[in-house]
Amino acid sequence: MGEVMNRKIKKILIANRGEIAVRVMRACRDLGIRSVAVFSDCDRGAYHVRMADEAYHIGPSPASQSYLVHDKLIDVAKRSGADAIHPGYGFVAENAVFAERCAKEGIIFIGPTAKAIGLLGDKLAARACAIEAGLPVVPGATIDGASAEEALAIATKVGFPVLVKAAAGGGGKGMRVVRSADMLEESLKTAASEAKSAFGDGRVYLEKYLERPRHIEIQILCDMHGNGIHLGERECSIQRRHQKVIEESPSPVMTPELRERMGMASVNIAKRAGYVGAGTCEFMVDQDLSFYFLEVNTRLQVEHPVTEMVTGVDLVKEQIAIAEGEPLRYRQDDIKLSGHAIECRIYAEDPEQGFAPSTGTLKHFRIPAGPGVRVDAGVVIFADIPIYYDPMIAKMIVWGHDRTEAIARTKRALEEFRVFGLKTTIGFHRVVMDNATFVKGDLSTRFLEEEYPDNKYTVLDTDTREHAAIVVALDTFMKERHIAVSAKNDGTNDGAVATLTPWVAFHRRGGLRTFQGSGS
Amino acid sequence: MKRYLVTIDASEYTIDIDYRSETYHVTVNGKEYNCEVSKLGESRSLMLLNNLSYEVDVHSSGYESRRVAFMRGMEIPADVEDYNLAQMRKAAGVKIGEKIEKVLKALMPGLVLKVHVNPGDSVVKGQPLFVVEAMKMENVIKAQSDAVIKAVHIKAGVSIEKGDKLLEIA
Repeated sequence: MGEVMNRKIKKILIANRGEIAVRVMRACRDLGIRSVAVFSDCDRGAYHVRMADEAYHIGPSPASQSYLVHDKLIDVAKRSGADAIHPGYGFVAENAVFAERCAKEGIIFIGPTAKAIGLLGDKLAARACAIEAGLPVVPGATIDGASAEEALAIATKVGFPVLVKAAAGGGGKGMRVVRSADMLEESLKTAASEAKSAFGDGRVYLEKYLERPRHIEIQILCDMHGNGIHLGERECSIQRRHQKVIEESPSPVMTPELRERMGMASVNIAKRAGYVGAGTCEFMVDQDLSFYFLEVNTRLQVEHPVTEMVTGVDLVKEQIAIAEGEPLRYRQDDIKLSGHAIECRIYAEDPEQGFAPSTGTLKHFRIPAGPGVRVDAGVVIFADIPIYYDPMIAKMIVWGHDRTEAIARTKRALEEFRVFGLKTTIGFHRVVMDNATFVKGDLSTRFLEEEYPDNKYTVLDTDTREHAAIVVALDTFMKERHIAVSAKNDGTNDGAVATLTPWVAFHRRGGLRTFQGSGS
Repeated sequence: MKRYLVTIDASEYTIDIDYRSETYHVTVNGKEYNCEVSKLGESRSLMLLNNLSYEVDVHSSGYESRRVAFMRGMEIPADVEDYNLAQMRKAAGVKIGEKIEKVLKALMPGLVLKVHVNPGDSVVKGQPLFVVEAMKMENVIKAQSDAVIKAVHIKAGVSIEKGDKLLEIA
């Protein structure tokens, strides 16, 4: 491992914004380390700026001109006298060039080395590294000019169904699922011709197709002294647009034996890659519980708090200790999972419009509390949600003694969570918590498309629907009465609003014109 | 007394409201409720419906009769109409919210990435019109109905602000 430089960190620049910047600053406070925030134009009054000990403006709102500019980050680190940079997730977190730059400038990068980031960030190199470390990968092979018999032999070895796709490209072009041997030759031909026309490269890649895979990942911690441990798993199968929305630990299908195998596999690939710091090894898990390596995320994950809640380990504190050159304070035997944690990501999005972003001002923002509830928010009331960055405004993490209690507490907390002024995913989460398939723990990455094919997430019981009807009628009545009362008080209108005949009102709002024009 | 027709998920509620001495007397499809309302903010209220407590936020959304009620962690879309107006609307054979926007305006700031239509084009409901990037995401804006494009005010690479006119249909 070479010599280890032991250096106490006194001040950390957080090269990020939003909830993760706030999260890192909290760890700094706990450790008596001073925190330095950076902010763009639109983040001038942002929560992470308010939380920091010092804050520096680094340019215009687009991240490409502020949070992503290496020179500016390094400059602030030097001006503020920060001895370390924590990248959070996103932005410069998995950037080998930035990690290398920090090393050159004598600033501690709180994360793995540039070399490890580079190796694991390259999909092919990471897959090769995983195979060397003895990890299972999704079986497959490139088929280039193979005969029909050879192709069939490969497919049979891999096992049907198989996925046939262009070796050169992505984006679903030339991709098809083949369920039986008699369909194979035909599908390979079509895929090859589509690949040829789309990418100018007719090579086809054939791999095992997982029907309803789960996404399960293992949290790891490695120090500079060659020690590595895993902290159990997180199940992150519930995704939209390949982005996680609900995560939990432990996974409802996990067994101690499988956890041990996946955990050891993750520590093995980390050691082979010379990994240092907190990292996550992602797997696809088939319905028969076979697991396949996907990739290593060389950073702190958004969903790290579910692991913190069930292990009691503060991952950010450990990242800092590791970066200082300390040996891991935990051995594998010290890590005991207790209870169950669920995280709901609260996005400023409209789930019923295909999770389209929703911008605006937070007219009201009240965070839930009570037993088992933790909220990592990146915003405060009256904040404007800018269009430039990720629309996640908060994470709500709830702990229970078991999954049933965790779900019950999550429902309670979602009902307490009040965000008014823009659309959020709170209602969506509330509906999922009642979904029978979710409650059974029968998850897969296709959960949302299977359970909610038309993106409709409002499931109302009769009583609630009736109460909602009263609520909107009362609200309308109060507003109309208010107008009528103000008109009367005004003395000029003599209550005219209240005495409009329905026909006049109907004409005024263009009802008939609408009717005539509605043939379009 | 005032009578409304509220529609949620195609279920209709005929609601009578009478305000007497600080209490709202509400009858829903014949069932009675005594309601108390405390205003909490611009659009927020605390409502007690037969003593069942709801903190709610009700705001307008889209077309005239459309409201979205946020309560108990859920966002519930509902249509509220004056009862008599609703009867006339029904007699005229008009569906709720059938009024179609002739001028499409930007709902949020963003960057136009692609424009798929030209003036004079006929489009069918659901056909992509243009693509806007906002909040790191590409949003495909689709036709709400079959229509003929009258004017196009945007082109690829242009930034748009909330409220900007984007397209007009004939």
